[in-house]
Amino acid sequence: MSEIINAFFQAINLIVSLDPEVIEITLRTMFISLSSTFFAALIAIPLASLIHFNKFRGKRSVMNVIQTLYSLPTVLVGLLVFLLISKSGPLGNLSLLFTPGGMILGQTILVIPTVIGFSIIGLRGVKEEIKELALSLGASNLQTVTTIMGEAKYALLGAIILGFGRAISEVGVALMIGGNIRGYTRVITTTMSLETQKGNVELSIALGIILLSIALIVNLILNQVQER
Amino acid sequence: MHLLEIQNLTKIYEGKKVLDDIDLHLKKGTTLGLIGPTGCGKTTLLRIIDLLDLPSSGKIFFDGIDITASNVKDMDIRRRIGMVFQKPIVFKGTVYDNIRYGLKVRGKNEDSYETEIFKLLDSLGLAGYEERDASTLSGGETQRIALARVLITEPDLLLLDEPTANLDPLSTEKIEKLIAELSKKKHTTIIMATHNLIQGQKLSDQIAILNKKIFQMGTPEEVFLKPAHKFVAEFVGVRNVKKGTATQLEPDLTLIKLRKINIYSISHLEGLVYASIRPEDITLSKMKVISSALNEFKGNVKGIVDNGGLIEIEVDVGEDFTVHMTRKSFLDMELTVGSEVWLQFKASAVNVFECEC
Repeated sequence: MSEIINAFFQAINLIVSLDPEVIEITLRTMFISLSSTFFAALIAIPLASLIHFNKFRGKRSVMNVIQTLYSLPTVLVGLLVFLLISKSGPLGNLSLLFTPGGMILGQTILVIPTVIGFSIIGLRGVKEEIKELALSLGASNLQTVTTIMGEAKYALLGAIILGFGRAISEVGVALMIGGNIRGYTRVITTTMSLETQKGNVELSIALGIILLSIALIVNLILNQVQER
Repeated sequence: MHLLEIQNLTKIYEGKKVLDDIDLHLKKGTTLGLIGPTGCGKTTLLRIIDLLDLPSSGKIFFDGIDITASNVKDMDIRRRIGMVFQKPIVFKGTVYDNIRYGLKVRGKNEDSYETEIFKLLDSLGLAGYEERDASTLSGGETQRIALARVLITEPDLLLLDEPTANLDPLSTEKIEKLIAELSKKKHTTIIMATHNLIQGQKLSDQIAILNKKIFQMGTPEEVFLKPAHKFVAEFVGVRNVKKGTATQLEPDLTLIKLRKINIYSISHLEGLVYASIRPEDITLSKMKVISSALNEFKGNVKGIVDNGGLIEIEVDVGEDFTVHMTRKSFLDMELTVGSEVWLQFKASAVNVFECEC
C-alpha cells in the first residue's frame, strides 16, 4: 500500500516539477488528438448535414451503421490503417506507418462515426419551423442549411468534443500505427501501457492524472456548451 | 393590376379537401381579411401562397408570374413575400440578429439599415430591445419581433397568420396600428388571416369568408350587412336567419313565405331563400303604430337576456325573432316575459340570400 502512495507522490512531483518527458508526451498527445478531431470534424459535419438534410432510401440503416461504429474497436481501426499504410498497402508509398501522421489518420477514422452520429442528433434537435422560417424570410437552400447548422452549433461543438474524448483516450491505434517510439510517436496512453509493464508506475500515474484532468476539463466544457 | 391572382386552387391533404376551388384576386395596396373559423384552411392557403406548401391543383399568379410553374425559383418569389407565422419562433441570437436575418440572406448591407431597424423597433414598442436574447422574450414581444423581421425586407405582399392571436390587448393594439399604417403609408398589400371578426372588419379593405372554400368576398360592410350564404350569416353573427320561399310581387317587392308568417323584402331573388333581419333593425312597441314598415306582427315576449349593454328580447310572432333594445326603452316599456308586443321592420331591412338546399 505504501508503495502505491509513494508512487502517487512521486507522480505528483513529476507533474509539479514539469518533468520534460511528461510535458513532451502530453503536448504530443494533445497535438495528435486535436489534429485528428479537427480532420474528423471537417469530414463528419458536412457528411452529417448531407445525411440529415437529404431524404434517401436506407437512411435509417445508415444511422444504425453509424451508431454501431461508435463502439468500433480501436484495434480494428489500427489493423485496417496498418494494412492501408504498411509498405505493401495501397497507401504504402506515403510512408505513414510509425509516424504521428499515421496516428492522426487512424484516430480520424476512429472518431468520424461518433462526430457524424452526434451531429445528426444535434441537427435533428433544431425545430422544423426554423427551416420554414429561414425559407420564408428569403434564404436560399444553402443559407437555410447554414442557418440550421448555426442553430445547432452548440450541439455540433458537443459532438466534436465527444470525438476528442474518444481520440485522446484510445490506445489501440496509437500503439499499432504509432509504434510507441520514444520522442516521436509516444503518447500518454501508450506510455502508460509500456511504463506500467516496465514497473515505472510513477510515470504512469502522473500521465494517468493528466489524462483524467484533460477528460475532466473536456467534460466541463461539454457541460457548459450543452447548457447553452 | 392584380398583385395576386389565385385560380381554382384546391388542396387535398391526407385524402381530405382542405381548400376547395379557391378563386381570389387581390389588387396592389389592398388589405384582405381572410376570416374563418379554426381549421377552415386559412393557414394552408397562406402557406401555399408563400410556397411552403404545394397546391393539389390550381394556379397562383404573383405579379403576373405563375408561381406554381416548375421553372420559377421559389426563393425569388419568397423574397418579395413576407409571412408572419401564427406561432412565431426566433433564431438563436439577439433581437437585432433576428431582425437583420432577411437582409443578410439577401446580401444587403446591413449597416445602412441600422436606423431603419431602430425605427421599426421603436414603432413596435420595443426600443432598447436590440441586444436582448431573442429566446427570452414574451409571446407578444416575439410576435412583434417576427413582424419587424419581415417588415425590414419591405415585402410586396405581407401574409399575416393570426397576427394577434393569444396576445395581450396592448400588443394587439400596437400590431393593429402598425398594420393599418403599412397599408396607408406604404401601400403594402396584405392578407391577414384571422378568426377575429372585429379585427378583420377594422383593418381590411376587403374580407373573404373562408371555410374550405370562399363563401363570400367583398367590403366588410357588404359581407357583414348582406351575407350571401347561411354559413357567412351565422359566422358573422347575423341573427334571425329564416328559410322560406320567395315570390316577386312587384319589381322591387318580394313576398317570402316562412313557415307560419309571410314577410316582405325588396330583393329580387325567387324560390327557396334565406332571409335575415338584423336585431337592431327591428322595432318593438306595445301598441300597433302607423309606420311605413311593411312587416308588422303581433306576438309575445318569450325571453329576455340582459347582456349588460343592449337588452336582447326574444319575441314569438309565429316565428321567433331576436330584437335588441336599449336599457332605457326596455324599462320604459315595462316588458316582461309574456308581454304582448308589436314587432316591425322595413322590407329593405330584410337581407335575402340563396339557399343551397
